Amino acid sequence: MTSFLIRRLVYGALLMLGVVVLNFLLIRMAPGDPAVVIAGEMGGASEEMLAAIRQDYGLTEPLIVQLGIYLGNVLRGDLGQSFFFNQSVVSLIAQRIGPTILLVLSAQVLSIVIGTALGVLAARKPSGLLSGLVSVFATIGYAVPVFWTGIMLIILFASVLPVFPVEGMASIKLRDAPWIIRAADIAHHLVLPAFTLAIIYLAQYARLSRASMMEVLGADYIRTARAKGTPERTVLFHHALRNAALPILTVAGLQFGNLISGALLVETVFNWPGMGRLAFDSILRRDYPTIMGVLFFASAMVVVANILTDLSYRLADPRLRGGA
Amino acid sequence: MSLLQIDQLRVTFQTRHGAVTALDGVSLSLNAGETLAVVGESGCGKSITALSVMGLISSPPGRIAGGAVRLAGEDLTHASEARLRAVRGAEVAMIFQEPMTSLNPVLTVGDQIAEAILLHQDMTRSEAWTQAVALLDRVGIPSAAARAKDYPHQLSGGMRQRVMIAMAVSCRPKVLIADEPTTALDVTVQAQIFDLLNEMQRDFGVAIMLITHDMGAVSEMADRVAVMYAGRVIESGAADDVLDAARHPYTRGLIGCIPSVDHGGALAEIPGVVPPLHLLGAGCAFAERCAHVREGCRLARPELQGGAHSVACFGAQEGWV
Amino acid sequence: MTQAAPETPTREAWRMFRRNIPALMGLVILTGIVAAVLWGALVYQGDPFEIVWAPHEPPGVTPEFPLGTDYLGRNIVAGLLAGGGPTLAVGAVAALITMGIGIALGALAGYFGGWVDTLLMRVTEFFQVLPALLFAMVLVTLFSPSLWTIALAIGVVSWPQTARLTRAEFLRIKELEYVTAARAIGAQDGRIMWRVILPNAAPPLIVSATLTVGVAILFEAGLSFLGLGDPNVMSWGLMIGANREYILDAWWPVTFPGLAIFLTVLSVSLVGDGLNDAFNPKLRSR
Repeated sequence: MTSFLIRRLVYGALLMLGVVVLNFLLIRMAPGDPAVVIAGEMGGASEEMLAAIRQDYGLTEPLIVQLGIYLGNVLRGDLGQSFFFNQSVVSLIAQRIGPTILLVLSAQVLSIVIGTALGVLAARKPSGLLSGLVSVFATIGYAVPVFWTGIMLIILFASVLPVFPVEGMASIKLRDAPWIIRAADIAHHLVLPAFTLAIIYLAQYARLSRASMMEVLGADYIRTARAKGTPERTVLFHHALRNAALPILTVAGLQFGNLISGALLVETVFNWPGMGRLAFDSILRRDYPTIMGVLFFASAMVVVANILTDLSYRLADPRLRGGA
Repeated sequence: MSLLQIDQLRVTFQTRHGAVTALDGVSLSLNAGETLAVVGESGCGKSITALSVMGLISSPPGRIAGGAVRLAGEDLTHASEARLRAVRGAEVAMIFQEPMTSLNPVLTVGDQIAEAILLHQDMTRSEAWTQAVALLDRVGIPSAAARAKDYPHQLSGGMRQRVMIAMAVSCRPKVLIADEPTTALDVTVQAQIFDLLNEMQRDFGVAIMLITHDMGAVSEMADRVAVMYAGRVIESGAADDVLDAARHPYTRGLIGCIPSVDHGGALAEIPGVVPPLHLLGAGCAFAERCAHVREGCRLARPELQGGAHSVACFGAQEGWV
Repeated sequence: MTQAAPETPTREAWRMFRRNIPALMGLVILTGIVAAVLWGALVYQGDPFEIVWAPHEPPGVTPEFPLGTDYLGRNIVAGLLAGGGPTLAVGAVAALITMGIGIALGALAGYFGGWVDTLLMRVTEFFQVLPALLFAMVLVTLFSPSLWTIALAIGVVSWPQTARLTRAEFLRIKELEYVTAARAIGAQDGRIMWRVILPNAAPPLIVSATLTVGVAILFEAGLSFLGLGDPNVMSWGLMIGANREYILDAWWPVTFPGLAIFLTVLSVSLVGDGLNDAFNPKLRSR
């Protein structure tokens, strides 16, 4: 297990190295003077500023040296300076990564828990009403643009049924309230964005877990469990779901990158102060160091999610534990 | 009165070809402490008989359309689901053909045995675990305490079947149904498993219903035999009588043939295969494959008759077979 | 059983497809959308950017503007008709690029195995680590948005799944007897890959291509919604993005383009599911 973890971590680090090299190449491949590209479009950077950038990034050196300098900076935790926000990229992202993680994880948990529960219930009656609804819902959920779902929910909840806030992450008037009230306020703000993001995946997990459960429920060991007098609920949630969860886990890992992409759009729609919103703002300003920083951290989140998925897969499936 | 009495059991399945009758008036009885072998080729209804006793016929598509399964006088076909759960594992236990797939791959074998114990006996978790280890030891698994923490994939097929047996006897059931318990195992292991089953019967006094297609297993294990064909019992009697003087041509074929490697394939001594259930006509289901067939065999279906060693064959009943 | 003539696989697939009501519905909707877009481009020829009326005219009030006008007073019907073309074109081109890259790399990895496979699969895994939409945003921004760069960016970020699928198919098929036979008569690697294996891997790849069109349309809509599309070309995503600030005043300028995207992607994926079922009759009950 430990050696597996070490191997996974080394591989993850290599992937991140790849992301850094890609970032470097993208900036250099962009048309125009890299110094101007890095400074961003802010109504013309001053000559001193450009000179400072050339100095920092070693832009007069050969390409390979520039890459070395860039890698060295990243290793020291320096992803550059955002000239638009006038802050280091790392500190900018540090302010924004929390809300994004909160949003993405909430959506992930919501979609897996509700989706799996629906799928399990549907699997008990393969031709029942719920089964039909699950497949229709999955087909529809896949085809709806996530940002449009968000907008429709805003229209619904802002004008028709104003029970959830439709914008931002916290109410300004509660800024000085005790933490528990602020936490509740954030949770209240989280409902619509998290649900918007979860809804697509929820439908897919429902369809997947239904198929997976139906397969598992036909397995011999389920018959064995029933033959020893196990109550149906224990058969479903103890014996069957633990096996049926394996493909769900795989997909959850694979979907994580898509979830982050979706979060980008959802944050923009709901003004959620996360990395997606930051990416959007910095792209409009052509603030490349920030964009590249977001790409770096978003990829890092996917790498971490993949490692966690692999680990939990091993914990869930004893056949993968130990050797091999 | 027998411990387990199956009376005129009828089970139907809804299929694409309409409703087919998988069991057509099957009657069997099992006395306390004895072994009854139920013999026949694949698709003859042996396993469905076993699952009906357990109340495990999946419904839909299956349905018990008539008859009764009486355990110590209580009709299980009309029992509530809660009552059936209390019976399963505690009074009637079952082991299956495929030890490779019959154990849950994500739970330790100790857990799976302890679960059966906890379901039916008033014990704490740790008592149940101790009991599970003792059972594993009892069924001949070396260093049982360590093996109890293993997952099924870490054990060989024979070991897994021992685990299944340990699980089945864990609550001291009155009846143990063994559905082709050795078919998937090595020949050398098969004998060990039969020995173990005999031992369990001696020690726990459990009555065994052994479902098999292997006449060798019958001679080794059974006190009495019931031969099934196309959803009916066609011959039944004491094991020695049936093996030494089989009356039905089909039974004679079974005894004559060496079990083929691919069970379920055609039997060497009997040409043809069991007809699909939805194509059964009015006559004897075996008529198409029978060397002694006469015109009357195709017109009416013979009933099981003849006392202690009974047979459902016009020829045997009238003395021309 | 009515005909004695043996059916070709294509004909059999079509027969299965015709029986699949959701898939047929998808095909009908898709045909309708394409026809409407063509009609808009060839006959109607309304300028979607032209301000023709008062802003925020609700739908169903003025017969000339059945779906109303947007925040600038532009005709929403004209926008829908004009925006469909670029959306569909980018979707189709992006899907072609995705399939091109994915099939080429997947085929090489699956056919040659060994270090080629290892290398290409590592590259594939690397691309799967990058959040696709974000990566596409970066690419589009760096290389100035046009329909081509958008399609290219979508293709560059979406090929890994196709590559994995193609590789799996090639791994399976290359062990089959007719491939061995082709090799035995001395066929070249290239010929075996493209003329022997690829046609036999076609069914799942066609299904995948169809579904990729749907994904690409959603991508294009997302990028345009964020304002990263070509600002001089009307598209459904752009309509939603442009009117987003005013959703509480007028629901219709964002609702109709969203429905258009939804219906298009839905019909494409219904057709894809139908093709999948038609090619794999055994899996139909799933």
